[in-house]
Amino acid sequence: MLIPCPHCGPRDVSEFSYQGDATRTRPDPASTDMKAWHDYVYNRPNPAGPHREYWQHAGGCRVHLLLTRDTLTHEVQAVAFARAGLNEGAGKP
Amino acid sequence: MVERVSPLGEAFRPGTYGNLAEGPGVTLTEATPAAIAEASAFPGSTEPLLAAIETVTGLSLPATPGAGAVGDGAAVFAIGPGRYLVSGAEGLSASLQAAVALDIGTVTDLSHGRAALRIAGPRAEWVLAKLFALDFSPAAFPVGEGRATAHHDVFAHIQRTGGDQFDIYVFRSFARAFWQELCAAAEETGYEVG
Amino acid sequence: MSARRIPTGGLIDRSRTVPFTFDGKAYTGFAGDTLAAALLANGITLIGRSFKYHRPRGVFTAGVDEPNALVTVFKDGVREPNIPATQIELYEGLVAESQNRFPSLDYDISALNQLAGPLFGAGFYYKTFMGPVVGPLKGTRFWMFCEHFIRRAAGLGRAGYDKDPARYERMNAFCDVLVVGAGPAGLMAAEAAAKAGKRVILAEQEPRAGGAANWSGETIGGKPAALWAEAAAERLAAMDNVRLLTRTAVWGYYDGNNLAALERVGDHLAAAPKGAPRHRHWSIRAEKVVLATGSFERPIVFPGNDRPGVMLAGAAERYANQFGVLPGEKIAIFTNNDGAYRAAAALKKAGGAVVAILDVRPEISAAARALAEEAGVVPLLGHAVAGTAGKRLAKVLIQRFDAATGRLSGDVRPVEADCLAVSGGWSPAIHLASQAGRNPAWDDRLNAFLPPQPTQEWTGAGAFTGAMSTAEALSSGRDAGLIAAGKKASRAKLPEVAAPPLEAGPAPVFEIKAEGKAFVDLQNDVTADDVRLAHREGFVSVEHLKRYTTLGMATDQGKTSNVPGLAIMAGARGLAIPEVGTTRFRPPFSPVSIGSLAAEKHGHFKPDRLTPMHDWHVERGARMMEVGLWHRPMVYGEAGETVEQTYIREAATVRASVGIVDVSTLGKIAVKGPDAAEFLDRVYTNMFSTLAVGKARYGLMLREDGIALDDGTTWRLGEHDFLMTTTTANAGKVMQHLEYYLDVVWPDLKVHLASVTDQWAGAAVAGPNARKVLEACVTETAVDNEALPFMGIVHGGIAGAPVMICRLSFSGELAYEVYCGAGHGTHVWEALMEAGEAFGITPYGMEALGTLRIEKGHVTGAEIDGRTTARDLYLDWMLSKKKPFIGSALMDREGLIDTNRIRLVGVVSLDGRPLGGGAHIVEKGSLEELGESIGHITAFCYSPALSKYIGLALVKGGKARHGTRAFVSDALRKRFGPVEIVSHHFFDPEGSRMHG
Ligand SMILES: [Zn+2]
Repeated sequence: MLIPCPHCGPRDVSEFSYQGDATRTRPDPASTDMKAWHDYVYNRPNPAGPHREYWQHAGGCRVHLLLTRDTLTHEVQAVAFARAGLNEGAGKP
Repeated sequence: MVERVSPLGEAFRPGTYGNLAEGPGVTLTEATPAAIAEASAFPGSTEPLLAAIETVTGLSLPATPGAGAVGDGAAVFAIGPGRYLVSGAEGLSASLQAAVALDIGTVTDLSHGRAALRIAGPRAEWVLAKLFALDFSPAAFPVGEGRATAHHDVFAHIQRTGGDQFDIYVFRSFARAFWQELCAAAEETGYEVG
Repeated sequence: MSARRIPTGGLIDRSRTVPFTFDGKAYTGFAGDTLAAALLANGITLIGRSFKYHRPRGVFTAGVDEPNALVTVFKDGVREPNIPATQIELYEGLVAESQNRFPSLDYDISALNQLAGPLFGAGFYYKTFMGPVVGPLKGTRFWMFCEHFIRRAAGLGRAGYDKDPARYERMNAFCDVLVVGAGPAGLMAAEAAAKAGKRVILAEQEPRAGGAANWSGETIGGKPAALWAEAAAERLAAMDNVRLLTRTAVWGYYDGNNLAALERVGDHLAAAPKGAPRHRHWSIRAEKVVLATGSFERPIVFPGNDRPGVMLAGAAERYANQFGVLPGEKIAIFTNNDGAYRAAAALKKAGGAVVAILDVRPEISAAARALAEEAGVVPLLGHAVAGTAGKRLAKVLIQRFDAATGRLSGDVRPVEADCLAVSGGWSPAIHLASQAGRNPAWDDRLNAFLPPQPTQEWTGAGAFTGAMSTAEALSSGRDAGLIAAGKKASRAKLPEVAAPPLEAGPAPVFEIKAEGKAFVDLQNDVTADDVRLAHREGFVSVEHLKRYTTLGMATDQGKTSNVPGLAIMAGARGLAIPEVGTTRFRPPFSPVSIGSLAAEKHGHFKPDRLTPMHDWHVERGARMMEVGLWHRPMVYGEAGETVEQTYIREAATVRASVGIVDVSTLGKIAVKGPDAAEFLDRVYTNMFSTLAVGKARYGLMLREDGIALDDGTTWRLGEHDFLMTTTTANAGKVMQHLEYYLDVVWPDLKVHLASVTDQWAGAAVAGPNARKVLEACVTETAVDNEALPFMGIVHGGIAGAPVMICRLSFSGELAYEVYCGAGHGTHVWEALMEAGEAFGITPYGMEALGTLRIEKGHVTGAEIDGRTTARDLYLDWMLSKKKPFIGSALMDREGLIDTNRIRLVGVVSLDGRPLGGGAHIVEKGSLEELGESIGHITAFCYSPALSKYIGLALVKGGKARHGTRAFVSDALRKRFGPVEIVSHHFFDPEGSRMHG
């Protein structure tokens, strides 16, 4: 499986670390809503099909990427830097 | 000034090795820039950071992924979005630090933390392709450009510093093991150390 | 030369005689021979014994599809079993042995297995061993007893036990167009793409390009096809943008148009050149792929179809045309299609006697008839082989056959023959396509599966697509190459092909049913009856059939057996073949050496991570230990000392005077930027924004779920500049944790992280005389209590090198961590040793370091083990109530604050014997009656300060058990004895020494 890193170009998946589901949002740090925290830390949708997830290019530019990956085919349908501020002006190497 | 000791130790043995039937295919050596630093821009500040790098090193490069430049006694290349590995003269980190404003980015001295191993020669692309899943052809990897990758557990920042020459920056603690790996990979083509 | 070698012709080099050994006997062949060709040339047709029944077997094919002629090769002191003789290129001094026979190939005791035929039928293993043993043998080890004998009798060659000295390498390649297969189609495709300016890799599993052109006897462009191919390959090899890889089998097609190939670099050489690998694993990333993998001839299944002398017709033709070898003197042909007629003519031309052509079809084409005439024989139409006789083939038993009903009739007539060349039609080699495509489609004309619709970027060419003629191969090859290069198909004239106009489609006859064992899968000894038995027992899915009978699961991966097996299953179910479906072909297409997959990891590449002072430690005689990838001194032993004596001496010296330890391995992360302090407040449980510049603070991080992650000190070097230290083991994990939060959770924070672990050499100087050592060597700064208080940081120099010194203590002693540039590490270390000489300074290793920290009750990764909370470790004082931090929301959950969780305590051995890591703590019991565990020991040592064996432990209730007794219980190491549970602060609990 190849992941097209917006900085490094397509690289083998072995250079990347899976960093989890990107559909969840972290509750406000001071929140005491335990259900929200449990959903954030433990509950995952596990869809068969397109899934938004974080991958870190750990063996490359170290940046976290936000991927939409089809869990049935491994097709990467969309990729961007997770940190929105980095996406401006990003081209292929 | 106290001399900086090479991490290669006795693993660095000048001479020729391996299959020399067609002469050594590559030359392996340690590039020893006086200083190495990482300069990183906060999102949206890459241009001013590059301007600061240019002020200090005289090297200009576009803010595109993988971009880099090689000059006399200095080199710079992107190792991530807005992140640059810079090598140059003594005092590089301090000069960069002075040129990079607080809200533009940061500078970290890595002069001791990284070792730059140099491979040059007609078979350099072939030998490197054994170790890294990168396209080393000149069209895909032009002179001056840089790549961030890894060989198993060893992170490597690679810059093409010449037509058939590459500088590979590795963490100092891995330098000796990686050097030995590089030598082993070059046995097939024959290699010269020196 | 032997009678079987044709005097002229073929692609062998008759000027180079090559000696070799088979089963201890010396033979010769020619350069360009395979072992199979050379054995046949020497009249050797019996080459091995079969998998289950030990039936005699010979050469069945001439290529990678060989199921039978597996041999063991001995090279460089290593035995490698199960290599097809058809794939071994002859080299001087080749030593090969037949396998799976005892005591000899000719007389094999286990051949008796075939008398026990029904016992070894389909599903034998499952039936015998998977079910419960009932009856009188219940509770015995009966099945293990049986298995021992069966495993020895059934199977392939024996693997060696010796270390493989060969070298294996990996190669990463990138190209615009990868062409798989260098037959006429692949050569055309590669040339078309290369001429369009593309970077091309052409991979061919055989030693020479050409494929079927090497034995077809056809002409291309007015030249013998083999010579045309040779010239085409030479043109390609001369192009800068083409890499022609022979002896390279592409065996896997993976996501992202990534293909795996095995190049056999040195197998064909008596001795490899210096530094050359034996095998090279190619990982090829291609924009486009052209599959020109050709097709495989299929056998027809009939009783006795495994007898040595029976082989595929195309193989017989190849031995004659490419190797100049006659596979027999009296050759019979059995076919359901036209192709075998070309073989018949070739074998006759080579000097063989074609004694009969048996064709199941009632009628044949004029072209076939003309070839039969060339072969000098009138074909017997509507005939089939009903059996064979002889240990080596001596007789073929023939009968009338009705292809419409599949029935034999009339008298059985014997025909004398020592070779029976069989053709059951041709199947496109769709294995790679099937890994990168949907379901293959059945073709009624070819009676074969055609390539599926691609799911990746490939196109096909030549026989692979079902276009079986050479003319079609040339045109489809060129078009595929052009299309892969982004061009339009061409109408330009192609080289003229002279070939008989044969009909490619066979009659749909797959099996001749008659008395006797008829093999579908020759390598796994699966018979037609096994397939029918599996059906009767309910295994109707082809995937189940495959696993139950092992059909197609051997090293040849069912290249010859796939379609016949499906046909027999379809017959049993009363369905058409496409309704039964086909099994999915998975990688590898052909066997792959494990060494090539391990490649550079073979032998070493787990990189050694060395500290800047590594060479000093080694020269000093330190016994090194591996901690993750790092190499660290365990003890600096002196002559006659045990490890325990050494660390006790080292630790005692630290407590009494001073010692020095290399702490360069601690993870170090530069945390910089305007929001650095805010960031640290969020990731640590305690406050860092309040830390003064020039001071350090101990910090604890939790995971989001409230479990402890790591601890360490972080130093504030500037307003916006922190140096974080982590434990050695967690450095990478902590870095990734921090990067995640900056990238994903708090993208607005202006903070940068950089790994500076390797930038700094670190030496901890510890002991009551530590300050005096520093005073003796540090310049440019004072180090007294005022200038350098506990947790203070100063900058100065040692022996001319800049240093940064922080006063902090892991040992509980007055201690300092001295950091300098890694390249100055040994220089500074030696200066510290020299300054410490007057105080009897000792270097100490991991054992003493561990002893000192256990005495002091400091936690490490053994206690921060991914299950413990801050409270479990009595670090609740570090949990700030003034701010939220990672883990603060979930750390107070009921289960995590239960005081009866296992919590940190100290344990003291009461019987004067050592404790053991991982040993359980129990309230009662014995080694025989294991008591209920109330916790476990995480670390242990002999404490020179207490003169006792002590340990740290995680025990239910923790502090509440202080002063109570329990037992250490370690059934594995046979250790049971009394302990006292005490505070984990064994030594100087007030910390007066380190604050002194
Ligand atoms: Zn990247």
